[in-house]
Amino acid sequence: MSAGDTTRPPAVVVDHVTKQFKLYRDRRTSLKERFTKRRPSRFEMFKALDDVSLEVPAGSTYGLIGSNGSGKSTLLKLMANIHRPTAGTISHNGRISALLELGAGFHPELSGRDNVYLNGSILGMSRRQVDAAMDAIVDFSGLKEFIDTPVKVYSSGMYVRLGFSIAVNLDPEILIVDEIIAVGDEEFQRRCFDHLYELRKKGVTIIFVSHSLPLVQTMCDRAAWIEKGVLRCEGPAMQVVDQYIAEVNRAERERFEAEGHTRVDGDRERRGGGEIAVTGVTFLDVDDQPVLAATAGDRLTVRIAFQATQPIDDPVFGLAFHTEAGVLVTGPNSEFGGVRAGRVSGAGHVDYQLPALPLTPATYLVSAAITDRTLQHVFDYRDRAFTLAVQPGRSPDRNGVVTLDGQWSAPTTLDAEPSVPTVRTESLR
Amino acid sequence: MTEMAEMWRYRGLIGNFVSRELKSKYKHSLLGWGWSLVNPAATLLVYSLVFSTIFRARPPASHNGMTTYVLYLFIGLVAWNFFNNVVTGGMAALIGAGPLLKKIYFPAYAPVIGNAFAALVQTLIESAVLLVVLAALGNAWWTFIFAPFILALLLAFAAGIALLFSLFNVFYRDVNYIVGVLLQMVFYATPVIWPPSQVLTLKHGAAAVHVLSINPLFQYVEALRDSLWTGQVPSASRWGWMVLAAAVSLAVGLFVFSRGARDVSEEL
Repeated sequence: MSAGDTTRPPAVVVDHVTKQFKLYRDRRTSLKERFTKRRPSRFEMFKALDDVSLEVPAGSTYGLIGSNGSGKSTLLKLMANIHRPTAGTISHNGRISALLELGAGFHPELSGRDNVYLNGSILGMSRRQVDAAMDAIVDFSGLKEFIDTPVKVYSSGMYVRLGFSIAVNLDPEILIVDEIIAVGDEEFQRRCFDHLYELRKKGVTIIFVSHSLPLVQTMCDRAAWIEKGVLRCEGPAMQVVDQYIAEVNRAERERFEAEGHTRVDGDRERRGGGEIAVTGVTFLDVDDQPVLAATAGDRLTVRIAFQATQPIDDPVFGLAFHTEAGVLVTGPNSEFGGVRAGRVSGAGHVDYQLPALPLTPATYLVSAAITDRTLQHVFDYRDRAFTLAVQPGRSPDRNGVVTLDGQWSAPTTLDAEPSVPTVRTESLR
Repeated sequence: MTEMAEMWRYRGLIGNFVSRELKSKYKHSLLGWGWSLVNPAATLLVYSLVFSTIFRARPPASHNGMTTYVLYLFIGLVAWNFFNNVVTGGMAALIGAGPLLKKIYFPAYAPVIGNAFAALVQTLIESAVLLVVLAALGNAWWTFIFAPFILALLLAFAAGIALLFSLFNVFYRDVNYIVGVLLQMVFYATPVIWPPSQVLTLKHGAAAVHVLSINPLFQYVEALRDSLWTGQVPSASRWGWMVLAAAVSLAVGLFVFSRGARDVSEEL
């Protein structure tokens, strides 16, 4: 991952930028109101961005994150020159190609080819430059047989494919993208990523807004987190996203505590004799605080609360983790775990602790059960009654279900130092 | 002047707005571009009937001695339609480009200027028909060479006005209706349907023509008739007034537009 080219001046410099919008209660668009209403107090000022300063290094890939309505897209529009800052300045080094909506400039009656020329000129290209890129655009979009058909007959997928093809193939220097990657089918998305990768290698600066935190962590060199118009933090993407997730978790915990209850998503099936019952399952983070969303790779404690109506000898506590698609990840229980519970009566809880949560970011369904020692008699079984959301954390794995917590070595090659083969055999052992 | 330089850099975009306008205009109509002549032809027919037959408008004699009102009217209508299309079309073009301006940065005058050139294409088609008819009737004369210059000045004058009104229209949508009313009044104040020579014969006619000729459109229409109808070189004062009006209109239009259009993407 290149950290951007520090020898070139920054691609975009945002210097103490504030942006205010008028929020019309009843839109003032007539002259009559202008002259009859003494004070034009029909709107309030809304501060979408408040004194934001940041620099996007040339050649870097830069992510903007934050909750909905935080001001990310406003900042993107200011960077793309669409809006003007109320205060402060934004300067650029390089030609900007902004993709705030794919195919925004298309005219439905014109053919795909005519629209390429139109869109190209809107992005500031000459006809000759568009001609030079035309074949690449048509190839990339995969719309060869439709390129001379009016775009009004295109499907929405074809529309965005052509839009994306134009924007990335017209040799941008700074590419500004608003949550694009969620377009087209799997195959086209992959081609988009490949192309963005190619652009990065060529030194194109890419700035984008995304709600996909794993995407920001993997694609971006740097990121900025904006909340309520204020720049909360800015720096290497990994760290910024981690801080953002920590904040989201903290906010969620507060809400969770305010509501003061365990989240039960309704039992699919609850069976058992009921001599001892599972009254709830809570997830505790590193600081033993209850959370709804756990962080991958962090310590997690699963706490099963129970209530026994009579003394029970050696009950066995069990858990099961399912993916939302219904795949059983694992099903640990205290008997396999080698713990004898002894005699249990009244209310209490038992903890199942994971030193480093090995699940990849996703939502999991958790079942809890209490049985007798033989596992034959079920006291209480609550099938997938609890939800555990796992957020991206320090853990590097993104795909599949579990993290294997392995260690990678530096690559070695056969024609290197003679000591290399022994290293390999050791690592294989 | 920086506006002019920027406009030159974005000439490709303006050109594309022109071709987008022209290409999509008569798409899916059987007559296609034929429609662009139907409207002026119908206006010509109706006005000729009303004003020459009922109101007895008598145009001055042409270079070769014709007094055919319909041709005299045709010349005036070409100029008027041009002005009208640049101004009303320009306002619609800027509003129409609104969704685009919110998504991509480009100079907001591009659709307005693009529309002006699309209107010019329409005018050139009408002019071609006009010239063929005039030549066929034996009224071709060397003063025809002034016509392109007159149209170019009219284009600059109309574009400046279009820039002003299209910008105001974004902030106050009533401007559209005000302009509609204004244009109607200006139409009758401009010698499109009435020959000034006929007004001069009325009581206080000379004074009236003197006042009405302050209107730059009076000059453009009459200059076009000098060139195409009576076959004379427009007077120096007429040229002066036309150049001044075009320069002032375009300069003021560009100046106001470049200041006012910076926040246009938020208002559209």
